[in-house]
Amino acid sequence: MMMWVTGGVLFAYAGMLALCQGLERHYKHVWNRPCPRGLRLGLRGVGWLALLVSLLLCAQAWGWAMGPVAWFGSLSLAGMLLVMLLPYWPRLAVGLSAAVPVWGVMLLLA
Amino acid sequence: MIQAPAWLQIFSRSTAALLGGYAFSYAASACLARLLPLSSADAVIVATLPAFIFYTGAILWAFASRDAVRAWAPLVLAAPLALIGFWPQALRWLA
Amino acid sequence: MKNTFTQSMAWLHTWAGLIFGWLLFAIFVTGTLAVFDKELDHWMQPEIPATEVSQADAAQRAVAYLQAHEPKASNWGISLPTERSPGLRVSTGERRHGGGVQLDPRTGEAIEVRDSVGGNFFFRFHFTLDLPRNWGIFVVGALALVMLAALVTGIVIHKKIFKEFFTFRPNKGQRSWLDFHNASAVLLLPFHLMITYTGLVIFMLIYIPAGVDALFEGDSRAYFQAQGNARQEQPRQLARQPGELVDVAPLLAQAEARLGPIGGLNIRNPNTAGARIEIRPELGNRIALAKGQAMVFDGISGQLLSDVPEWRAAPLTQRVMVGLHFAQFGGYPMRWLYFICGVVSCVMIASGLVLFCVKRGRKYASATAQPSARRWYRVAEVCNVGFVSGLLLACVALLWASRLLPVELVQRESWEVRAFFGTWLLALLHAGVRPARRAWVEQLLLVALLCISLAALGGMADAMRVGVVACAMVLGVLLGLVAWRVRQAASAPQKTRAGRSVEAGA
Repeated sequence: MMMWVTGGVLFAYAGMLALCQGLERHYKHVWNRPCPRGLRLGLRGVGWLALLVSLLLCAQAWGWAMGPVAWFGSLSLAGMLLVMLLPYWPRLAVGLSAAVPVWGVMLLLA
Repeated sequence: MIQAPAWLQIFSRSTAALLGGYAFSYAASACLARLLPLSSADAVIVATLPAFIFYTGAILWAFASRDAVRAWAPLVLAAPLALIGFWPQALRWLA
Repeated sequence: MKNTFTQSMAWLHTWAGLIFGWLLFAIFVTGTLAVFDKELDHWMQPEIPATEVSQADAAQRAVAYLQAHEPKASNWGISLPTERSPGLRVSTGERRHGGGVQLDPRTGEAIEVRDSVGGNFFFRFHFTLDLPRNWGIFVVGALALVMLAALVTGIVIHKKIFKEFFTFRPNKGQRSWLDFHNASAVLLLPFHLMITYTGLVIFMLIYIPAGVDALFEGDSRAYFQAQGNARQEQPRQLARQPGELVDVAPLLAQAEARLGPIGGLNIRNPNTAGARIEIRPELGNRIALAKGQAMVFDGISGQLLSDVPEWRAAPLTQRVMVGLHFAQFGGYPMRWLYFICGVVSCVMIASGLVLFCVKRGRKYASATAQPSARRWYRVAEVCNVGFVSGLLLACVALLWASRLLPVELVQRESWEVRAFFGTWLLALLHAGVRPARRAWVEQLLLVALLCISLAALGGMADAMRVGVVACAMVLGVLLGLVAWRVRQAASAPQKTRAGRSVEAGA
């Protein structure tokens, strides 16, 4: 169960991060240059997709009754973590999304 | 027209929010319970669940309305709603 | 109220938020702590062993104990060891929290356990503020309603809710406090709305009995009967004849297959022909709160007399909403999600309270302000410290008191509660005599210290108790960081003020 829970939380974070970076002001803050339109739309698309994956993983962990409850909680807390990290350690905030492929590898190995 | 002093306005609106809001949500729940096409036990639940949305609405109204008198509108609205909710009791009382 | 809708909603949000925020913070903190009430119970009573005994064995030992000590009682209550509550407790008479005898699940012998209010204190305080139950429920209900109004007005007045969704700009004084208050409120909006509304739904028929009044002439017994909740008739005749109790273990297995993990059982009219065994589930297999549900077996034959009924849509909806608030479902991962969301919501409320003072500090704290306004501002400042850090101090003081108070102390539970309120009062007084910033730093540092050093009290014989102490340590470190930041900011106000406006002489 913990694999799915972890995955749900990680994808929630990745999704919130992508949606955040899809906004001009936050992209500029991290990368110090404006965001090209294609990348912006791409980031938003990836963001929503990641949130959807997060929902599926939460449902896998808890079932479809409790899963959505956990999903909302994960979104909120992931967003909170992101918002607190971004002003102080922006590269770290972005770098944390690397946990997603690590989790993916662990899932394949298990 | 003489404007009522600020503290009186605030007091009036706060009381309207608390008491008028209660009367309004109470009456609205009773009205809903009476009108819903469900068994009595189920109707009680379905009618009471949204009561706090009504109450919150009445609270916001009490402070958003144009003057401190209009803030009491939910209390006025409560009367016909209560009548619908309690019409068998009302008929019995009249008889 | 004011000229525009937004302005009057802002006024309402500010003043309702301030006046009621002080108690709402207490409700949210104790509610958050109540998520781990059973774990705190376990930590506060270190005499209870954590064992690996199966529920069947524990039940048989409990029955043997009751046979030996209370064979003639009319009702036996047995709380079985569960994941969250490793203890085994037996009682006679109607079930209450506390009371009864604690048994060692390995031997079935009674063990001496200190009297303690336990984590249950936080749970009770959360919905009654420690007032008499009926009054307390209404007071907390009214506060919950104000919270709902504060949430809705907050949404209404937050014009840039989407643009500033991820915005937090630290080190900018008032702007930062507002950013944080907005971010924590908006990002957790589903949680805040859900927890507040479902909290009101729990006692909704006590608050707004309109439906029962209109459709059942106010007769709540008739209403409960219409729900299909009529209490089973007790077999009085049979209860006068003796009988031999059936073995409980197979019944437990049967109930577990149907209900999931079991919480405990009641045996009514034991050792009589009218014996009934009621087995209740551990809360948590579904969102809908299963309190009060039990499978009833005949105590002599072991036959199933009544099964747990399926709920219809309307009562199921209510139970699901109540269950969402009680947060007994989904195992420990869900419990941690609720806990962390609770912590953030407490900080959200506290940041709003602090923002009120930060915003008006310059205007009302200086010597040029009106004396009456200055006095009220000072009241707000003192209440902020006393009701935020003061309450946290009271909570951790309760934990310390539960371990430090002598075990044989008469009325030990009352003394624990006195420690809680006494500390809170002292914190308010301290806030009254110290300058605001120093009061904040001193109280927050003290809370941090007491949380971090909780481990020094010992009594951590199992993983659950270590977990409680570890969590306290993490929270203590976080509070310590906050205190340190406040202290840092206190030494740099001159720079920010001079940089922002023309001020003659600093």
